[in-house]
Amino acid sequence: MSGRSMSLLDHAAGLPDMIRAETMRLEGRLRRCIPTPDIYRLRQIILTGSGDSLIAGHSTAVSLRTWTGLAVQSMPAMEAARYLDTPPVRADARGILVVCISNSGEGARVIEAARRLRAIGALTLAVTASASSRLAQAAELVIDIALPQAPHGANARGHAAALIALWLLGIRIAEVRMRMTMDEADARRALIARQADPVERSLAPCAAICAQAADRWSVHCRADLLGSGPCLGSAHFAAAKLVEATGIHASPQDIEEFHHLNYFMDRPGETPAVVFTAADAAAASRTAELATTLHDLGRPTLLITDEAADTSPTQPERLHLQLPNTEEFLLPLLHLAPALMLAGAWMEKAGCTPFRSHAGPWQGAQRARLVRDSLIQPSPQQRDERAA
Amino acid sequence: MQSFGLATPGNGLHDVTEQVTEAIAKVAVKEGIVVVSVPHSTAAVTLVSPWDKLGLEDVHDEICRLVPARIDFKHQHDTPQDAAGHVKAAIIGHSRSIILAGSKLMLGHSQRIYFWEFDGPRSRTVHVQVVGT
Repeated sequence: MSGRSMSLLDHAAGLPDMIRAETMRLEGRLRRCIPTPDIYRLRQIILTGSGDSLIAGHSTAVSLRTWTGLAVQSMPAMEAARYLDTPPVRADARGILVVCISNSGEGARVIEAARRLRAIGALTLAVTASASSRLAQAAELVIDIALPQAPHGANARGHAAALIALWLLGIRIAEVRMRMTMDEADARRALIARQADPVERSLAPCAAICAQAADRWSVHCRADLLGSGPCLGSAHFAAAKLVEATGIHASPQDIEEFHHLNYFMDRPGETPAVVFTAADAAAASRTAELATTLHDLGRPTLLITDEAADTSPTQPERLHLQLPNTEEFLLPLLHLAPALMLAGAWMEKAGCTPFRSHAGPWQGAQRARLVRDSLIQPSPQQRDERAA
Repeated sequence: MQSFGLATPGNGLHDVTEQVTEAIAKVAVKEGIVVVSVPHSTAAVTLVSPWDKLGLEDVHDEICRLVPARIDFKHQHDTPQDAAGHVKAAIIGHSRSIILAGSKLMLGHSQRIYFWEFDGPRSRTVHVQVVGT
């Protein structure tokens, strides 16, 4: 196995210790981050970022909405930066909490979102591993999710830290607004920390099944990653890791939307589908229908679930990865390991280089120039004020 | 010292007279003082009449009127309810002493011992110490 894929596997193997060590440390850092009066002023929470950071928002928005009872949505940094502060500016913008997520804190678009939305009075909170970054300076409040001995930049442990921080933030807001008792809040925090155990137990079966999938599928150049609710976040993360590791066209999609769109893709036998689900998931019945649909299409399929495998002879092409049972909101954390291992095994089998080595036509991504050096544009109102 | 647990379903007064009586029966003291104490900063112990349930609600409503949960307490480590609970418990007190005579608690006809929850629902503990002969 090459060093390239070992890096992804190392990230997966390091997750349990990170979850154990960091969950309560993150809780300590964010517990008093937002003053109680501001928490009571909230009407809306926007989770925004780009890449893995946006995926962290996708993965946690449902949980935060359920726990806090507030309108919570995850939104690309471009939408938050350019499509929220256009007139009419809302007089009560302080009731909007904009959670700006960026591990490096240097993504131009999320910095722009923080600056522009703070300017209209929204409460801006940076979730970043760099407390001295431009994002940390742009936002009103900062939660530092830096991990010991973890370099800045995208990696699975940093993504896990962002997931955990967002869940803890939602629990804290729900607790302070008394949507959740203190005992319930503490139990949920402990549940997140205990998630280290199922993640650890899942590593060996993940490695075995993902190696099988790579053996079968590494000749293909596209894949669908499917899930709903929190599992749509899992699908997004798995797709991102596949694109980064192998360069194939990997498309994340909601399970319902698949039946409307990617169902019709040509050459179904050459387009593997990875399905993230759980027996108790709210979308489980539709996922069961999806399994039949994929079979009828002749799609190579990997089903990642907590249920035992269907051993029926009609499903010979389906790979099955059974993971430990856990609460649905935590599935994006449990699914990090299979996502990393599938990408790592596929990359190894296909002989790919991660991120195309940032060379040749991809050299524009060196030192993250494409995302860091983009022009940060002030709002039309800010431009007018400067001109005046 | 005897102790018993209590899972409070919410805020308000929870009758613990029977549990205290059972705790006293386990010690060989007939004459003395019984101290009922709660090791919590957002709960208290008091004596109230049990006969009208609405009267119990009046008692609880009144302490909430005096110390409402507000969002501008300086103590923001926990919740506004918790912050208010600290104040309420400090006012009411975390323990009560009751005379024990002839192995019986000297409670009046209209007196019961109540655990007073200010930050429930929670898992709580009540301590009972009997001092005497």
